[in-house]
Amino acid sequence: MKRRALLPGILHHGLLLILAALWLTPILWLVLTSFGVDEGPNLRTFFPQALTLRHYRELLSSSGSVSSFPAWFTNTLIVAVFTCLLSTVSVLSTAYAMSFLRFRGRKVLMKAAVLLNLFPGFLGMIAVYFILREAGLTNTLAGLVIVYSGGAAVDYLIAKGFFDTVSRSLREAAWLEGANEWIVFRRIILPLARPIVVYTVISSFLYPWMDFVYASIIMSSGIAMDKTVALGLFSLVDKVNRNRYFAQFCAGGVIVSMPISVLFIIMQKFYVEGITGGSVKG
Amino acid sequence: MKRTAATKESFFQAFTRGDAGVKLTALFWGAGCLVRRQTGKGLLLLLEQTVLLLCVLLTLPFLRKLPTLGTVQAERIWDPVARRNVWNDYDNSFLILLFGVICLLLIGLYLLKTLQMVKAARQAEQTAAVGGQLPTLRQDAGRLLHQDFHRTLLFLPVAGVTLVMAIPLLVMILIAFTNYDRSHLVPTNLFTWVGLDNFRLLTSLANSSAFAYAFPRVLGWTLLWAVSATLSCYFGGILMAMLVNHRRTVAKPFWRTCFMVAMAVPQFVSLLLVRNLFADVGIINTLCKQWGVTDWLYRIGAIPTAGVIPFLTHPSWARPMILLINFWVGVPYQMLIATGVLINIPRELTEAARIDGANALQVFRRITLPYILHITGPSLISGMVANVNNFNVIWLLSRDVYVTTDQQLAAAGATEVDLLVTWLYRLTQDQSNYKMASVIGLLVFLVCSALTLVTFSRITGRGREEAFQ
Repeated sequence: MKRRALLPGILHHGLLLILAALWLTPILWLVLTSFGVDEGPNLRTFFPQALTLRHYRELLSSSGSVSSFPAWFTNTLIVAVFTCLLSTVSVLSTAYAMSFLRFRGRKVLMKAAVLLNLFPGFLGMIAVYFILREAGLTNTLAGLVIVYSGGAAVDYLIAKGFFDTVSRSLREAAWLEGANEWIVFRRIILPLARPIVVYTVISSFLYPWMDFVYASIIMSSGIAMDKTVALGLFSLVDKVNRNRYFAQFCAGGVIVSMPISVLFIIMQKFYVEGITGGSVKG
Repeated sequence: MKRTAATKESFFQAFTRGDAGVKLTALFWGAGCLVRRQTGKGLLLLLEQTVLLLCVLLTLPFLRKLPTLGTVQAERIWDPVARRNVWNDYDNSFLILLFGVICLLLIGLYLLKTLQMVKAARQAEQTAAVGGQLPTLRQDAGRLLHQDFHRTLLFLPVAGVTLVMAIPLLVMILIAFTNYDRSHLVPTNLFTWVGLDNFRLLTSLANSSAFAYAFPRVLGWTLLWAVSATLSCYFGGILMAMLVNHRRTVAKPFWRTCFMVAMAVPQFVSLLLVRNLFADVGIINTLCKQWGVTDWLYRIGAIPTAGVIPFLTHPSWARPMILLINFWVGVPYQMLIATGVLINIPRELTEAARIDGANALQVFRRITLPYILHITGPSLISGMVANVNNFNVIWLLSRDVYVTTDQQLAAAGATEVDLLVTWLYRLTQDQSNYKMASVIGLLVFLVCSALTLVTFSRITGRGREEAFQ
């Protein structure tokens, strides 16, 4: 019995090993290049000739007209914190209202959200750009926060789906104790919905780090200090800068990827927990 | 519940039957409340009305110009007082369109609110008539935390969505019916209504427009992309999840993490990296040349020029490569979701099948796959919608890298690898062709609506919502 299972086991893990190698090679190359001696992409060999920390040093102390990573990082962090606050409040309020409350216009609003989601997002963003320009908010962090959090509420469906699985009887019991709808939301439902709250917080915090399109429309000044991490790193590998800054791009990629991927993996864990059972069922 | 003793009346019934206070409410919102000594509430309503009317008055000049979108061209004229050239008092078509639309919406809101005010005033009158107690301002405020809690909750989200999504979208949709393009740029030029001309540009074959040539090609690739990207990642994810979660696998979390690392790295990092990996002057090309792969491919005629594999620069290579790279990015994500579902498959089902003598393939085909399809099937359609709008992958892989050699496509601002959405972006950012961008935005909407019509009824349909409650 044991002998017979040996060969399939080896094949099985061999296949896993090949796949894992395929999936990890580009990431390995990212890390290697960031520590390699070449400034541009290393075109001769896969492994760098020698290792150095120079690119990290240059990147973290940069404040030039091309690379100014510390400023990008601070910009994105500020935008992400405020976006996270506003978006989370919007999404969770909307989800709670749509899931628990019954009021006039509820179905209309839900259909409107579906409808709005069918349009490509940045079609409207073009008009938003002109509106923000009139208000003097283009190329400001406040403008970006508005863009990221303003429309966040239309993505309430995941949170609503979770709220839908929470038992209604808890709410009625709380009413009998004299609690109003606000207390129920704040003290009973939110603590129960922890997975989806965490998911919403992390996903809205990550959005400004991942987004490239909206930032490129709103922050169009081209000034290095104004950029977000995504915009800045993109500018490091454009046609002009690639050969001088590619290693710095990789270093920046490694630096932002570490916290982001940790958050991302935590978020996915809560997401899977949220949608596939393990949730609170009445 | 005493308060709702009054019977329901329409606006006209309420208006004609109501007393002077009710009738005055149609003009001054707080009137009904003031008559019934709800002074605080009355004043608040009056304030609300004043603010709303002020906004209408401020935007009214724009509404008046909405039919023409402005007539006064911007020019510099000699100002004898200041002794220099100054800009004249010109019209800005875009602002006229924007604030004209906002004005219309405000007027609509005002009328709607007036109807509600009159009805509410009439109800208050009837409640007072039967000796009922009218709520104090404090009680009304208290309702915002319970009976009217939805107003409190939805104020911020609805305001945000209206200002950042709904109104801008409405304006952009209207631009599809104007001639707003490079030669009609605001503020130095005016644009105006042109009816359905832009849509004709897409369809008519007679005037040999570049758009009529590019549109079916881009649409075709968009649909092909949406279907193949979604299906490949979906089934790839299921297979990978089954491989990783197989009972023979040792150290499952380790393998899972390996694949998730590739997904967790932000796309702009991983995709920009991969695009340099596969660049014409890139490390993969170097290695292929060293190993003789490039020469072999050239000999069998798979690459057009000797010495370089045009991974991301030739149409017949770029499309499959982009699909492949998307597979690399997307499969771990689907694996994660499929893993969640797989873990929840009742073990009795698979065990029973095994005892009945089913082999692994049969168990997969008859039990595992139908189970996963049943749970995640609807997400296939939303996945396709997401892929129609999948800007990142195409954009990050092709921007500055892929240059089309097809003159007619280039004239329309498109390339062979463009989706409708990236085409839209190119049109606005590179060509300032807002009118056609808007038309294409509408078409994306149509494609997505067609795809979503199926799931739409599922989301808001009766029965499903309350199923778990």
